[in-house]
Amino acid sequence: MTATATPSTGRWTPRRIAIWGAVAVLGAVAWGILALARGESVNAVWLIVAALCSYAIAYRFYARFIATRVLGVDDNRATPAERLDNDVDFQPTDRRVLFGHHFAAIAGAGPLVGPVLAAQMGYLPGTMWIIFGVIFAGAVQDMVILFFSMRRDGKSLGQMARDEIGPLGGAAALLAVFAIMIILLAVLALVVVNALADSPWGTFSLAMTIPIALFMGFYLRVLRPGRVLETSAIGVGLLLAAIVLGGVIDNSSLAPAFTLSPKTLVVCLVVYGFAASVLPVWMLLAPRDYLSTFMKVGTIGLLAAGILFTLPVLENQAVTKFASSGDGPVFAGPLFPFVFIIIACGALSGFHALIASGTTPKLIEKESQVRMVGYGAMLTESFVAVMAMIAASILDQGLYFAMNSPPGVVGTTVQSASEAVTNLGFTITPDQLQAAAAEVEEQTLIARTGGAPTLAVGMSTIFSGAFGGDALKAFWYHFAIMFEALFILTTVDAGTRVGRFMLQDTLGNVWKPMGRPSWRPGVYLTSAIVVGAWGYFLWVGVTDPLGGINQLFPLFGIANQLLAAVALTVATTILIKSGRLRWAWVTAVPLAWDVAVTLSASWYKIFSSDPLIGFFAQRDKYQQALDAGEVIPPAKSLDDVSQIVTNSTVDGVLSILFAGLIIVIIADAARIWWHTLSGRREPVLAEAPVEESKLWAPSGLFPTAEDRARQAEQQAEPVGAGRERSGGAGDRGPGGSGDDG
Amino acid sequence: MTTRLRRAMAGTLWYMREVMGENAYEHYLAHQRRAHPDEPVLSRREFECRRMDQMEIRPGQRCC
Repeated sequence: MTATATPSTGRWTPRRIAIWGAVAVLGAVAWGILALARGESVNAVWLIVAALCSYAIAYRFYARFIATRVLGVDDNRATPAERLDNDVDFQPTDRRVLFGHHFAAIAGAGPLVGPVLAAQMGYLPGTMWIIFGVIFAGAVQDMVILFFSMRRDGKSLGQMARDEIGPLGGAAALLAVFAIMIILLAVLALVVVNALADSPWGTFSLAMTIPIALFMGFYLRVLRPGRVLETSAIGVGLLLAAIVLGGVIDNSSLAPAFTLSPKTLVVCLVVYGFAASVLPVWMLLAPRDYLSTFMKVGTIGLLAAGILFTLPVLENQAVTKFASSGDGPVFAGPLFPFVFIIIACGALSGFHALIASGTTPKLIEKESQVRMVGYGAMLTESFVAVMAMIAASILDQGLYFAMNSPPGVVGTTVQSASEAVTNLGFTITPDQLQAAAAEVEEQTLIARTGGAPTLAVGMSTIFSGAFGGDALKAFWYHFAIMFEALFILTTVDAGTRVGRFMLQDTLGNVWKPMGRPSWRPGVYLTSAIVVGAWGYFLWVGVTDPLGGINQLFPLFGIANQLLAAVALTVATTILIKSGRLRWAWVTAVPLAWDVAVTLSASWYKIFSSDPLIGFFAQRDKYQQALDAGEVIPPAKSLDDVSQIVTNSTVDGVLSILFAGLIIVIIADAARIWWHTLSGRREPVLAEAPVEESKLWAPSGLFPTAEDRARQAEQQAEPVGAGRERSGGAGDRGPGGSGDDG
Repeated sequence: MTTRLRRAMAGTLWYMREVMGENAYEHYLAHQRRAHPDEPVLSRREFECRRMDQMEIRPGQRCC
């Protein structure tokens, strides 16, 4: 491929060279401070500076290189949004608006939770992976998949795998998508349960979101159709009132009614998930989605402002001893591969490939905008992950480990937790633990695993430092809990529904009526299957004596990275088939890394002889105890022991399934690569036909002088009138000409 | 300075309306005028109901 990028960005003026030189030097200084600081405290601002400088350079140079050279974006070619514009799913959308949509769709609880858990190994390994991982793997995956799906009229990842690799690879990809969705929903729901258990304040406020959403749905449907903004503003106002009211409930005689055990919460969530899946979307799902988008963007902005305003100092070490010993209480296993598995979403997330191939490619106006929408939105998500890492790292380490270790390690009292933390090599007194819980008006902070409570304590520290002082600490804590729970529930709603459609679609191939979206028995049955599947893992996670997050989160991480492997395999296959072997490393190198990480993590989970890490070693240990009639801690009864045996068997089998799926997909793709490269088979690409574009829109965030002139010209002439072209039909146009300097 | 501020506020409002989908009806009217000028258009209420009901089949992924 000889892509000749037109140098429409202008020359390298001394001023521009000076600016980029300064960004590079500043970034290098920040990284140097982070890497060399040992034993002295480091300000969080250096993490921010290192991240932002690295992102700027990556976006300006690497993303631009991928867009123009590797993908060969062509702004003279009409996108599906322009060709198939039907004002429903295909619709040319302003790039900044689409960036907002895409970011709201990819960002969720994942980038907030993963870094909190990874902080057990220190802030440095996690932060490095979040930043370099996004630059070379995560954002590349999102952009490349967005581009290829756009060239195929918005085909889904599963369809692309079938078209470009083959039926076997396609089926494996579909199975992977379904499996990851179930595990994802279970783990996210588990985070909510752990955050709300025995917390009347949190439970009340979250419960109130249901009537609030129902009211908003009614308001939008009947009273003021389409007035989304005012409805959302009312909703957010009611939500804040619900959080304040939660504080009142917490201190009233109603508190016991909202003090729910984890098991009760599981039942509530399962019933809720089923209802949300079968009710019309306008009642619950859509209004909740508006609310969650509002809160998401608002809170992330607030967090960034809070960090910049308070400039907190990191209490966490750069690298803790658990990085090398691999026996940390939060999750077991050595730094490689587990840090890369645990930081599931902030650096590389296979789940994003599902969004980048689906809604977004049908809305994009210009091919070159894949850089801003795909790469740019993922950089923003990575920045959210960096902020989560900061929020977890400003906490006292003793408190961090008391909160994030499973109950089997820290027990349930402040005394036992204080002792356990001392055994881990950190210090916190029982009084301090009690005070920390009292500050945020929770009964206890011990073993509040899952990341959400830790993040909430970190956020309340930052927020109360910036706005309101200590008096508002409890409010900010519950605000943060609510914000996370709210969008986890939105994911659960939408995920259950999407899973239901996938299942209906698949079953529809076997028996026609099942495939009809309006056939009620089919809707109920498939909803029940999906809810039952994640409900099972949620129940297991809540009752697991070894701690559900500790057991399930690595599995979720593996599944997410597995999906990324599928996406990168599809991308590499397309690059090879379209004759771009010399650029295939752009996706093949992250693929090789991702496969190495995922397969070695699976190897540990399947074959490790350490019962803390390997599922089957764990199974053997507890099976032997069961046979001998012995109860070994943290199990408290023989029932517990047999439950551990069942759980570790299920988890182990799932690990085998995931590893097997990766191997099948890669082997099937390698066959295609071999056929193409050896010239045995003429490669067939499933791209949509070329059509000339009649639209003009800027590719970068800020329009260039050329963009302004072209847009003025377009407005002056009626659409479709003779427009000046910059090159011949087969020519590559001024791709990726966005000026971000 | 005040004109700048006013423009920034108008821009923010435009952006929020676009991202949240409040302008969908205006986009629909523009599309109808452009693509099907002789067909009757839906009222806002009918349009918004149709738009919601379309989400029934395409709920839109939300990620982790």
